[in-house]
Amino acid sequence: MAAPLLVMRGVKKSFLGVQALTDGNLEVQRGEIHAFCGSNGAGKSTLLGILMGFIAPDDGEILIDGRRVRFTDARQALDAGVAIVQQELSAIPHLTVAENIYLGAPPCRRGFVDFKRLNRQAEELLASLGFAIDPKAVMESLSVAAQQLVEIAKALSHRNANILIFDEPTSAIGEKDVERLFAALRSLAATGKGIIYVTHRLSEVFAIATAYTVFKDGARVACGRVCDIDRERLIELMIGGAMAGEYVKGNTPASAPLLDVKGLTRAPRFHDVDLMLHKGEILGIYGLVGSGRSELIETIYGLHRADGGSIAVAGKRLRGGGVPEAIAAGLAYVTEDRKDSGLVPCASVGSNLSLSILGRVQHWGIIRRKAEAAEITKAIGLMQIKTPGSDQLVRNLSGGNQQKVVLGRCILTDPKILLLDEPTRGVDVAAKKEIYRFMSDFAKQGGGIVMVSSDLEEVLAMSDRIMVLRHGEAGEAFARGEATSGKLMLAAA
Amino acid sequence: MRGSAWHIWGETSFRKFGIVAAFLALCVLISILCQLQVAAGEWSDNAFLTAANLLLILHQIAVNGILAVGMTFVIISGGIDLSVGSVLAFAGMVAASFATSAAGVTPWSGDYVIVVPLAAALLAGAACGAVNGWIIARFRIQAFVATLGMLLAARGFTMSLAEGNPISSLSDGLRWFGTGELLGVVPVPVVLFLAVFALAWIVLNRSIFGRYVYAVGGNEKSARTSGIKTARVKVLVYTLAGALAGLAGIILTAKTGSAQTGAGTSYELDAIAATVIGGTSLTGGVGRLSGTLFGALIIGVMNNGLDILGVESFYQLIIKGVIIVTAVIIDPSRKQAAI
Amino acid sequence: MLAAILAALATAGFADAAAAKKTRIAVLMYGNKAEFVQLMQRYGKTHPAVASGLADLTFYDGRYDASVQNDQAQLAINARYDAIIVNPMDFEANIPVVTKARAAHIPVIVTNARLNSEDMDSEIVSNDVLGGYLEAKAVLAKLRCKGNVVIIEGPIGGSGEIQRGQGNDKALAECPKGAVRVLERKTANWSRAEALDLMQNWLSKHHGAINGVIGQNDEMALGAIEAIKAAGLNVKSFAIAGIDGVTDALGAVKAGEMTSILQDARAQMQGSIDLALRAARGPGYRPLSPIWNQYAPLGLKWNDGRSKHYYVPWTVVTKDNVDALLRDRR
Repeated sequence: MAAPLLVMRGVKKSFLGVQALTDGNLEVQRGEIHAFCGSNGAGKSTLLGILMGFIAPDDGEILIDGRRVRFTDARQALDAGVAIVQQELSAIPHLTVAENIYLGAPPCRRGFVDFKRLNRQAEELLASLGFAIDPKAVMESLSVAAQQLVEIAKALSHRNANILIFDEPTSAIGEKDVERLFAALRSLAATGKGIIYVTHRLSEVFAIATAYTVFKDGARVACGRVCDIDRERLIELMIGGAMAGEYVKGNTPASAPLLDVKGLTRAPRFHDVDLMLHKGEILGIYGLVGSGRSELIETIYGLHRADGGSIAVAGKRLRGGGVPEAIAAGLAYVTEDRKDSGLVPCASVGSNLSLSILGRVQHWGIIRRKAEAAEITKAIGLMQIKTPGSDQLVRNLSGGNQQKVVLGRCILTDPKILLLDEPTRGVDVAAKKEIYRFMSDFAKQGGGIVMVSSDLEEVLAMSDRIMVLRHGEAGEAFARGEATSGKLMLAAA
Repeated sequence: MRGSAWHIWGETSFRKFGIVAAFLALCVLISILCQLQVAAGEWSDNAFLTAANLLLILHQIAVNGILAVGMTFVIISGGIDLSVGSVLAFAGMVAASFATSAAGVTPWSGDYVIVVPLAAALLAGAACGAVNGWIIARFRIQAFVATLGMLLAARGFTMSLAEGNPISSLSDGLRWFGTGELLGVVPVPVVLFLAVFALAWIVLNRSIFGRYVYAVGGNEKSARTSGIKTARVKVLVYTLAGALAGLAGIILTAKTGSAQTGAGTSYELDAIAATVIGGTSLTGGVGRLSGTLFGALIIGVMNNGLDILGVESFYQLIIKGVIIVTAVIIDPSRKQAAI
Repeated sequence: MLAAILAALATAGFADAAAAKKTRIAVLMYGNKAEFVQLMQRYGKTHPAVASGLADLTFYDGRYDASVQNDQAQLAINARYDAIIVNPMDFEANIPVVTKARAAHIPVIVTNARLNSEDMDSEIVSNDVLGGYLEAKAVLAKLRCKGNVVIIEGPIGGSGEIQRGQGNDKALAECPKGAVRVLERKTANWSRAEALDLMQNWLSKHHGAINGVIGQNDEMALGAIEAIKAAGLNVKSFAIAGIDGVTDALGAVKAGEMTSILQDARAQMQGSIDLALRAARGPGYRPLSPIWNQYAPLGLKWNDGRSKHYYVPWTVVTKDNVDALLRDRR
């Protein structure tokens, strides 16, 4: 058997006295699409950081094609053939697609950038991947999905890139593009490259990966071929015990209307959308990227002014008073990207949690610290947030716990309605279930939830009714049990 | 980098005490240099390390310190204010116009009861600040650009008030704010500075408004989503900076005995320096007033010490530049997560 | 007879036309935030030729930047001004003003501050070396050449600091060797606030040892006075002098706190206007400003406006003449 393309053996790393990796092991063969699974905090990011040359390991060895390598910076890793497609988009908005792809190493002619060659190469690359993107388009004019595809092309532009790391690559792109991506991955693997695929979406593991490695608490606990394992067993390995079902659904919708949206319009994003949410109901909204889902929710919440239509909460119409009015009426909103618009990253967990309810714990404008601390403790308990203390900086928490902080901030306002946009993005399997339980309990107690999600399984499992949004207009609606993945994808296209 | 006890201690302690350590180190250095002069027989005693001199330093940093308090609020909120020097001059000129015995310098000039010049100057400063805040919040113009405009405009207001002339012959009531002493010992500017600092500390650290300032600077979108009226916070923050520039203008005018059209030129740079040296990050959301206090002290000790040691003013500028850049380089809050 | 009448009418017409033609003068000031500059501008506007409409003044603010002044000179030349008067920021860096004006055949007069050049048509300045000498002499006289002094300087490298400094040193050399010590010597950049802080630090360092303060301009001397007052010391026990004669300094002289060497802004400004008009309008021009009569007994001669250097005498301001000067300021 040929030597593995990549071997990482016995890698150890600790930060500030905390062991992030106790026994990091990873073996990737040529031609493999290797899924890399594990809960948040299991050490995946650290191991990959070491592989990418960003982090120096305390111990252990890395072998590429049987040769020992040691990276002291990212450039060396790149030269050795390791490339990554980050989850966070890092494109330069004002440059074109071609310029972004060849950033740092554009084809040159006598000291000047050869734009003809640049664009031609980019076009060839994009065509070979099946991505229909104009290489001369400016990055910021593209949709988020297209930008993600460009990131992928960029990683693949390094000719000698043999080990490709994909970190949650589908979080922003729609189903059609996911198919294209998978096709591209398969053809890349066929040329002998090794692909490491990090994801929390287990269905993708079984759709695309040929091998898997599971990490838990800083060490590898299992590895093997995907065809030899099933979903339940995979989850078991990740959380160290059996999980009785991934979803929690215990609510029954009532008939009393809670949120009544009529004819809501905001050009050019969406128009004439009707939406009805009942007490105790979870309404799922499914649509492709660009269908106007997030803008719809943001407008209901008061972040944008609507051009037309009406919003009524429990019978009372909202008067365009923006976010404070929405919160007072009982709405709460968890944004799609918590780092971008959900959390204050440089602040503590406690500060983030209490941000919306400071008015309740003040006296003549001065914050009453005991009262605030009580609210914070309440939220941490309600959401089961794992944090060493409320003073901990929120950005040091795992993705799942960060999401819980955002939810915790919302829940403290005693909302009647939760507007959730991709509530489990970047959250691991165990934390996902806790969030689902929270949603179910909230609805059980009479609250209503509007959930926007691009995760078909999640939408199908958690919604009582599903509304499809298509090019900014309300499409088909499905009751629970009526919908299937196929029908939803069809309705959204 | 090995994770180790040293490192952990270093990281957390440095964040809190780094600036104090730097301040003490500077004081010790200057004291030693002065002591060397004494030992060499050049001087009769260590002029730096006397109670009178240390009180003098506090007196000298009062104006910049008050400006820096306002600047700290603005920078934490994610903005910057380049106009405080000009607003200081404008407010000083306004105050002087209501507290002078020189006739006819402005259409309304005269010696009014002290409340009038004080209120007028503070209002003038606050008004300039409010305009800054309104332009930034309403038209979403970058703070740098908006306050740059005010820097020029306020300087113009200052000059136009008395047609380019300074205003002197100030009333005793006004002069007291620069030259008076409380309990016969503590100069009024020092008292005002410490009072402003204490009040500002309470507001920034214990009040809702302070929390909102941090949130808006930390992530404006998140703040908005949480229900904070971010536009209002911004307007208030710049108004506060303007009002404090007004107070600083009153003190400087009272101290020099004359309101000058060129007063306060480049004072915003010292205010920003004190704030940045103190650990407040220019990206917003992070910062402490205690840091600003020590930042202002470091600048004051440096100016005083280097004057006493007879160091040429150009070296003073170089040293100040080096200190600012060093402070930002070692700023612990600059550290981002690796990936 | 008819021909003679026509000829007379014609020449009279020409003369009238010549007399009616306004002379446009560009006045380049180094900055506009100092009271002295404001005074110059005021006196410029009250010059009889300007008041009567014979001459038209346009003031340029050089924003304390020598290169800006050079650019403004070019502007004035392009706009075809008839004459240029310049109060330069920098002794060396503003020589191009003169060079460019010469090349464009436009008369150029230097006033108040000096340029290291002989190419201008004339300069009308006060001798800064003499000024520095006079002020230092005033301080040393009060101290009877015994004790410690400090010198607060203008911006380093500017003609003010260089030449007044030379004058200061000349006066100090005239005291018996070793009798007077210069404890400190540093710049406060013509600023009252800067001088205040500087003097405070010096007082703190030398407690009690400083007897005299030589401020190379009034603003800085006034700053030193404020520092002395703030330290609770008796100003009158110090010997303090400044240069310029700004209004606040006159007040301080009246209060017995300092001596000031008055630089006559009116003489410099109006004198330079006369010189510019002479150069632009030709030999027929008679100077219109009263300053020529005022200073003739003191040695300032018109000389048909053809001299290269005109030195306006300084006026040592004492309690005797300060009231008259203050009245004049109103």
